[in-house]
Amino acid sequence: MMFEGGVYKFSDLRELIEDIGGFIVQELVMQTDTILHMAFPEEEEREIRNKVKELGGKLIDLPLAGTEIMVVTPSLGKHHAVNPLCDIGEYLRRKGAITNMMGLARGVGKRIAQITAQEKMIMEECDAVVFVFGNLKECIEEKMRICDVIEVPYLIVGGPPDLELEHYLGGIGRRTDRMRRKEEFDTLEAMASKLGEILDEKRKEVEEDPLAASPLFIKELIELVMPPKAGEELPIIIHLDGLRVNIDEDEVARIRDIEVGTKKLSEICKIKKSLYRGYLLKILPEAVTGSVF
Amino acid sequence: MEVKVEGGDEFANTSYGKICQDTFRDLGVRTSIDHTYIYIDPKEPVFLISVKIGRVASPIKVRDVTQPEIDKLKITDEKFAPKLLAVLWDKYGERVHQIGRLEIGLKLDEGEAEALKDLIVYDPREDLIPRILDGIDRVLPEGARVRYPLPSPRRITIIASENPIGEEWKKKAEEIVRVLGDDV
Repeated sequence: MMFEGGVYKFSDLRELIEDIGGFIVQELVMQTDTILHMAFPEEEEREIRNKVKELGGKLIDLPLAGTEIMVVTPSLGKHHAVNPLCDIGEYLRRKGAITNMMGLARGVGKRIAQITAQEKMIMEECDAVVFVFGNLKECIEEKMRICDVIEVPYLIVGGPPDLELEHYLGGIGRRTDRMRRKEEFDTLEAMASKLGEILDEKRKEVEEDPLAASPLFIKELIELVMPPKAGEELPIIIHLDGLRVNIDEDEVARIRDIEVGTKKLSEICKIKKSLYRGYLLKILPEAVTGSVF
Repeated sequence: MEVKVEGGDEFANTSYGKICQDTFRDLGVRTSIDHTYIYIDPKEPVFLISVKIGRVASPIKVRDVTQPEIDKLKITDEKFAPKLLAVLWDKYGERVHQIGRLEIGLKLDEGEAEALKDLIVYDPREDLIPRILDGIDRVLPEGARVRYPLPSPRRITIIASENPIGEEWKKKAEEIVRVLGDDV
């Protein structure tokens, strides 16, 4: 859920979330406007709603909260980039996701399009990938094959509305203007809900084989040891099955030794350097590590 | 500017028509183009774009972008300020100085001040072709990097593909341009 409102008695809401056992995923204070992404137990929703009403704010549902999504275009040239890329990125952020943008090195064309091994690895660091392709049906059909190698859930968006392909959504292709009409917002909404469905499947997989500890819980523990620096944006990003922590190499040792219940973080997580930014913590299932309590 | 797109499916034709209109408008060359023809063959893939250049806007003179005052020029269209200053400095050197954002000071005699009004600040003909070529580059798909230009008077025609362009396509393009030349 997302709280949108002013700074008046804002700390009361934070305290309430902590009291009922919830987590703050992301917090943004811009002068007098406050945006707070939070996660809390379902049964406490009424209490939160009452508090939000008291503060005069709004509570908005965030179906994609706690995920990091990569928006990929064939290139960062003016043909593909800017308009559709920013519209998609912005809409996904409104739905709670953290988004990254990426232009492929050799993604343009039909026969010549390719994804390099390093690009594939960077994409797979995220929870899901959205490929933004062009307006030619034949090119999209051909390019499907380069997307097949990706091992994380993905969605392909392109111009032609009537293409029957798996993971495909039409209506968002090469454009020269922003998507600001009602039917275009509907298309973006359809994209977000389709992505939500894909991510729900992944969420279910994670729930079937529960993690040793929740990423939100680990985020709190890391913040206790390493409080976020002033002005630093998104120091810790939540994934469905782990976290991305923006730290330097010399701080990794401190992270490793953080105690999570009876175990150390390095025992329940696979820690590796990200090819893109910071370090990735992939939380192992409880079945592998044993209970942390 | 009229745009005609052929060869692709209905959606591709409409969207490329719109991309073409918007791109040329952004570059400010839409009024200088009479007709644009685009042929799309996504199966090959080969793309052809043929632009017929029409009437070009007349040169912009100092009198069009400024208002004369005593020993001063007031800039009325700031867009041309850098070009205007460059032209004046080139011609009169240190006798021209910039007072403020929209004011230029002059130390000229009467005859010179009169002649100054007819100086050409910017001639759209100068960079029309590079701007049209830039537009064509933005319209054609990015993957189609192999280009083949077809020379013809008052017309820019380019065939683009990601594969080598064969003789068959060159002939076909020549035929298209010939028919277009007769029609529009």
